[in-house]
Amino acid sequence: MDIGLLSFIIFLPLIVSFVLLVLPVGMKTTRNIAFATTIVVFLLSLSIFFNFQLTDYMQFREFHPWITSYGIYYSLGVDGFSMIILMLITTLIPLGYIFLWKTKKAKGYWASMLLIQTGVTGALLSLDLILFYFFWESMLLPVFMIIGIYGTGDRIFSTLKITIYTIMGSLFMLVSILYLGVAFYNEFGVWSFQLSDLVQITTLSNIQRTFLFFGFMIAFAIKIPIFPFHTWLMQTYSNSPTGGVFILSAIMAKLGIYGIVRFVLPLFPHQYVEFAPYFVGLGVFGLIYFGIAALMQQNIKRMFAYSSASHLAFITAGIFSLNIYGMTGAAFLIVAHAMATGGLFLLVGTIEHDLGIRSISGLGGIAKKAPFLTVAFALMLFSIVGLPGTNGFVSELLIVMGLFQYNQYIGIISASTVLVAASFMFWLFQRAILVKTDNDVSKMKDLDKKEIVGIFSLAAVIMAMGIYPHWFLYKIAPTIQHYLVDILKVGVAS
Amino acid sequence: MKYDDIIYLLPLLSVGIGAIVLMMLSPIKSFSINRLSWVAFSFLIIALLSNTLNFGMVYSVTPFSGIFSSMIVVDTFAGYFSSIIIAGGIVTVWVGTHYFEKSNMLRGEVFSLLLFSVFGMILLVESRELFTTFIALEIASISLYSLIGFQKTNIRRVEGSFRYLILGSFAGIMFLLGIVLIYAGTRSTNMIDIAKYLTTHSSQDMTLVMAGGTLILITFLFKIAAFPFQNWSMDVYESAPLPITAFMASTFKVAIFGFILRFVLIDFHELKNIWSDILFYIAILTMLYGSFLAVFQTSLKRMLAASSIVHTGYLLIAFVSINSLGESASTSIIFYLIAYFLSSMGAFGMLSYIASDDHLRVTYEDFRGFSHVRPYMAAMMSIFMLSLAGIPSTIGFIGKFYIFVGAIESGYTSLAVIGILATFISVYYYFKLIALMYFYPSPEMKGEIPPLKGIPPLVIALMAVLIIWGGIGNTLISYFPGIDFLIDTAKLAYQSLFM
Repeated sequence: MDIGLLSFIIFLPLIVSFVLLVLPVGMKTTRNIAFATTIVVFLLSLSIFFNFQLTDYMQFREFHPWITSYGIYYSLGVDGFSMIILMLITTLIPLGYIFLWKTKKAKGYWASMLLIQTGVTGALLSLDLILFYFFWESMLLPVFMIIGIYGTGDRIFSTLKITIYTIMGSLFMLVSILYLGVAFYNEFGVWSFQLSDLVQITTLSNIQRTFLFFGFMIAFAIKIPIFPFHTWLMQTYSNSPTGGVFILSAIMAKLGIYGIVRFVLPLFPHQYVEFAPYFVGLGVFGLIYFGIAALMQQNIKRMFAYSSASHLAFITAGIFSLNIYGMTGAAFLIVAHAMATGGLFLLVGTIEHDLGIRSISGLGGIAKKAPFLTVAFALMLFSIVGLPGTNGFVSELLIVMGLFQYNQYIGIISASTVLVAASFMFWLFQRAILVKTDNDVSKMKDLDKKEIVGIFSLAAVIMAMGIYPHWFLYKIAPTIQHYLVDILKVGVAS
Repeated sequence: MKYDDIIYLLPLLSVGIGAIVLMMLSPIKSFSINRLSWVAFSFLIIALLSNTLNFGMVYSVTPFSGIFSSMIVVDTFAGYFSSIIIAGGIVTVWVGTHYFEKSNMLRGEVFSLLLFSVFGMILLVESRELFTTFIALEIASISLYSLIGFQKTNIRRVEGSFRYLILGSFAGIMFLLGIVLIYAGTRSTNMIDIAKYLTTHSSQDMTLVMAGGTLILITFLFKIAAFPFQNWSMDVYESAPLPITAFMASTFKVAIFGFILRFVLIDFHELKNIWSDILFYIAILTMLYGSFLAVFQTSLKRMLAASSIVHTGYLLIAFVSINSLGESASTSIIFYLIAYFLSSMGAFGMLSYIASDDHLRVTYEDFRGFSHVRPYMAAMMSIFMLSLAGIPSTIGFIGKFYIFVGAIESGYTSLAVIGILATFISVYYYFKLIALMYFYPSPEMKGEIPPLKGIPPLVIALMAVLIIWGGIGNTLISYFPGIDFLIDTAKLAYQSLFM
């Protein structure tokens, strides 16, 4: 059987992980081999990026029968939207490894990280809903392990909480998927769970579709999280090890957004448009609510957790804004935010590693001890707040434009919130990093060479995307256009 | 008389002769438990191999129909079910050997009784005549009654054994009464004749038959521990020796379902209509009550017992939808039985394997930090838990997938939703064990834990591999039998019923 590039990207980490777990190798070897694997995967994904055709079709298709009696296929493909997220995942994970290098974790930690990579890329690339569900649930297990074994504080409770929470969401989605499959079978006489087949169903009534729509949305809303499904977030983020927070915030949350665009949008275009105002409302509300919650936090990790949730709410508003600016901006912000937030959590992890867990007022004066870290921190922060010249600026501008076009008042509210959030972030930066205080920060070490190379190449990408957004936007433009014009039929913004 | 018919009876004969041989060997002191287990194993494996002779074909023969007057039928359906049952016997023998040696209380009779029970179960799925069915059911049950009482150290064994004996006999009487009523209505106890009667007569003539069929269904619900007949199972499962619990929870359930599928599919189309409403609620209550029980257990053995009630509920979902989708519902029942068989047999088998001389590891707390002591065993146990919870990449997920798809397809979406709810609750009590095994530091284990060597761990590991294989399927190696193979053969089994 021929194995395609996408399969290779998905399953290489899995295979390596199992081999490493079974072989009697030490932690260091495991880590080094795992890192090398992620680099290989990164190179493979680069080749996808350069060979990507500028169309709205699915590319690099792979299609094999899996469970034929129920028409379940092993079906993979990539389009503009999933391609940029694929690039994001394969770029960020090696970076994560560089920053987690020092952590004295057992080899299970690194093996789990590889398993997570398989789970997320698999979910990202599968076009069969059962296959998608398969990966979507599977990626939970290594996260469960990472938080449960290597977390801090009340880790066991928070692990069970996030697991049960997300499984609840996924099970609702599973019922919806099965219902769609049966509807397709009743209409066409054959079984199929292919996305491209299920969109052809015409027999479902509007009420049925609405139920199914929410079945899917609950699963994704929990993962993102959209207000009011965020209650797992804080505990999990503060009790996770740095790697866990990094994966959850930078990658898994984005997959929730991806799921909405990939599956909910084409399957339920009518409901998507119908309920868009509510989700825009929830998004903007979340932007403000989580923003205020972030202000209240004393712990720097918790603060970033809320600010991350705030941005994710903003992205949600963007994808439901139903115009090309909002959608493109959201797609762009997924990438921008994942990079910046991933980078920030890794840097915060470094600070925690050196100084222990501290509140914001217990920090201060790090700049002198660790100038490189300070610069990197600042660059990531610039992108988060959307300073011109970073990719954050481009994406937030696009979403705000989209929201303005959607509704003037919502546009004004979101724009001003973004500005207030920006000023707050700088205040934090000043307190935690710049200003010299009496606190003992002598244990703080600066970034080492690997980390410097890693974080500044990320910063370079952030700047490049901010200065020449066109390089990246033109790859996804046809896909977004396709979503809006062909599927949602809302027309293109003039 | 055709003597080549004997080949079809070979599984039955082999197990029956094996049981008698073991009975004769067991008083001989020089035959250790280990040796006896090899004897039991060889008879079982002969039975299993002779079953595979006709594998992959649709056939239906009534061997020695002159002597047995068509009471026994050997068809693909029976072959399929008896293969699972015999496999259950084999696994029980192997995971049991260690336990029986350690617990130092069971003599060789246990294998003899086990094979008698397997014999009864095979006869149960092969019989097409109701009195034969009754006799088969009683052979299987009576062997189990005595097996449950074998654990001398467990103070509750007498209670468990007697409770099961009395309630089981009560259910047996229901069954007999049902047969009598059906006979009164149709003048026959042969399923084929009954089916003929049902198709040729109007519904006014069927009051007696319906009443009789209902009584038989009640026996069925009792034996599979469905609501409201579930309470015996918790105590009986707890007081029985672990390998026997495993055997009862998985294999006996397979046999009972094998019988009732034949009974319902061939004869009782009418009855299905009357019963589907009641079974609908029974399925819901079974799932919810089982989940409720399982959540509050501190003993792993009791949790697995309670969760077996929940799994009965899932099977009943498919049983309700059998009305509108005969073939796919039966297929999904068969598939789910295999999935449940592998997972629960594995979990119970692991529990009974790690029991040591002085300490039975049966509570959640006993597993605290287990992964640090025995990482591979903990990994296998996790696989069994994940499969029971129906997490993708295990066979349990595929099994649930079929059941829920069938429920939605036949219009019982609400059943699927309740099933999902029960699945969701089950995540809690299955994941709790995984969390305990992995998230706590290495403890001081009470008693020694047997190492990972010998045949029992191999058998358990094989089941773990099968669970994963059954969940991932045959995408990679297309000529190796996978999920599709299981479904296709299960369909053949269904078709052979109507030959």
